[in-house]
Amino acid sequence: MKRVIGSLLSSVLVFSVSTAHSETQLIDTHIHYSHDAWNVTPPKKAIEILRTAGLQKAFVSSSSDEGTQLLYAKAPDLIVPVLRPYRKRGEISTWLHDESVIPMLENLLAKNTYAGIGEFHVYGDNANLPVIRRVVELAAQYQIFLHLHGDSDAVEYVFDQDPSAKILWAHSGFDDTYTIARMLEKHPNLSADLAFRNEHASNGKVDADWRELFLAYPDRIMVGTDTFSPERWYYIIDHADWSREWLTDLPTDVAEKIAYKNALALSNWALK
Amino acid sequence: MKLTAYFCLVFLLLWQPVYGLEYSDQELTMIRSLGPWPTESVKDPSNRFSQQEGAIELGRQLFFDRRLSKDNRFSCADCHQPNQAFQDSLPLNKGFDPLHRHTSSLLDVGHRPWYGWGGEHDSLWSQSIRPMLASAEMHTNITILKNTLKQDNQFQCAFQQVTDRTIGSFSEDELLITLGKLLASYQETIKSGSSSFDLFRSQRIKQSSRNDEQYLSIDAQKGLKLFIGEARCVLCHSGPNFTNGEFGDIGVPFFIQNGQGVDKGRYKGIQALRKDPYNLLGKYNDDPSKNNAVRTKHLQLLHRNWGEFKVPSLRNVSQTAPYMHNGSVRTLVDVIDFYSNLDEERLHADGEKILRPLHLNEEQSRSMVAFLTSLAGPISAATENTQLFSRCQ
Repeated sequence: MKRVIGSLLSSVLVFSVSTAHSETQLIDTHIHYSHDAWNVTPPKKAIEILRTAGLQKAFVSSSSDEGTQLLYAKAPDLIVPVLRPYRKRGEISTWLHDESVIPMLENLLAKNTYAGIGEFHVYGDNANLPVIRRVVELAAQYQIFLHLHGDSDAVEYVFDQDPSAKILWAHSGFDDTYTIARMLEKHPNLSADLAFRNEHASNGKVDADWRELFLAYPDRIMVGTDTFSPERWYYIIDHADWSREWLTDLPTDVAEKIAYKNALALSNWALK
Repeated sequence: MKLTAYFCLVFLLLWQPVYGLEYSDQELTMIRSLGPWPTESVKDPSNRFSQQEGAIELGRQLFFDRRLSKDNRFSCADCHQPNQAFQDSLPLNKGFDPLHRHTSSLLDVGHRPWYGWGGEHDSLWSQSIRPMLASAEMHTNITILKNTLKQDNQFQCAFQQVTDRTIGSFSEDELLITLGKLLASYQETIKSGSSSFDLFRSQRIKQSSRNDEQYLSIDAQKGLKLFIGEARCVLCHSGPNFTNGEFGDIGVPFFIQNGQGVDKGRYKGIQALRKDPYNLLGKYNDDPSKNNAVRTKHLQLLHRNWGEFKVPSLRNVSQTAPYMHNGSVRTLVDVIDFYSNLDEERLHADGEKILRPLHLNEEQSRSMVAFLTSLAGPISAATENTQLFSRCQ
């Protein structure tokens, strides 16, 4: 009897946590769980944070990949694993010159399930370096997306290498709406995440230029937090609240696409 | 004789008087921007008691009065100790509960745009209310405090002399705000004076470099050059008070000890300020124009605010150890070491990065510490002036 009551109570508790954040479904496409986060926010706590934020799914890439695997093992329903080509922090600007990255990626791709490769950093014609070229080939081989943090030139070079590549453009390149629109128009396989961007919304209201972008490309934009330091894990909850607030300022169908449908479609495509 | 004359000639040709280091026009402009100091006292228009001598004295008495806390446990001065540059020299202090932020020095605390490590307040008087009410700090019960103060005839008399009203005629909210404003009036008088650097700066502005190392050692001048140059400290620690008054994430970890999550810093500060009934947008701002509330009105909550903390003044910084919002850096040498070995990947920035590891060598670090130490001036604050209330004795 006690067990039944306990089970009922925990169901009620789980239900109340999930309903508190379930008004707008949300998928966060830009999360890292790197080595310095594991001790301070162990996997159980990390999953609890994602659930408290009311996320349907979380795209996670980590330096090293072990972080992603730790979370994926705990919550395969929640975690969309993405393979980051960094073994540890500090490789943002060196990885693309390090050819030992390639066998590491090849081994992990052969062994585990991934929806994408990234988030990796590359700018300008560095996107033509051999390491990047091989990464683009691997993404094509495994039919997964590339989560690219870089400028529009780097995106162009990757599409030159493989016009059928699927790229999720991290932070929308920190570019202006004009450039983002131009890139989305030119490259149908390009999507953009809004991680660490503020310009599109303030106090729950969407900026006019960004609204135009969202309405013109409703199927191509996604939300993301970017947990670039361990403490940022706690921001996932506040960020989800913040995102839900400004999304209500968009037409429902557009808001739902940006909030989770686009990310779900990308994940389903990659993990088919 | 000829040989002596020859040596004299060589000496005269080679000898150059040592007038200190040379500075470029750009460096001199930067040096000029770091003064004058001290600045002129300006009345805070949001506080009707600002710069009134009776209010300053009553505020001073309140500052040292433990009745402002639950069970008469703590006064403001127990943490903001006058003989410790108005801070406590501890990494983290403990009130009724352990605190997770370092006690800031109150030097030159008047006329800042924001108060608190996260900028939870936009006036000194509203900031002064916060520790009184905080359960971990003074944990004041305003109902009990009002009764206590009402029963103190001497205080009641002085209070009426300053405010023109009896304590009993104030609502609890009004009384709290008035106490905050009186405390602020005293704190506005806590100031640092002219330092070695300021004397050096004055000399340099007069375009006289003669003997300026008597004010600022060559070592400290080398530190100054780094501070305004290569190290780019001046981008945030700018102006006469060596702070831009804003907030930054310099990569100091901001987890709270004992698994209590994180200190959200400026992010929570903005949220708290917006909700604060005592912010400058509210009815308790004594400036009818509300011009002083423009900053608060236009605040935006940004992702980068997460874990940002106040850029502190560097005036008398050698006397305000330990450092950072959580007191986690023990000495000035450790601060320089922190910036020398900054972890860039903890910081998210695209485009021009302000922060980067300085990689200073030992000599450069020593010069930086010498320069920072030169920013110490004499500390002053309003002193006892009880004769103002002589009729209340």
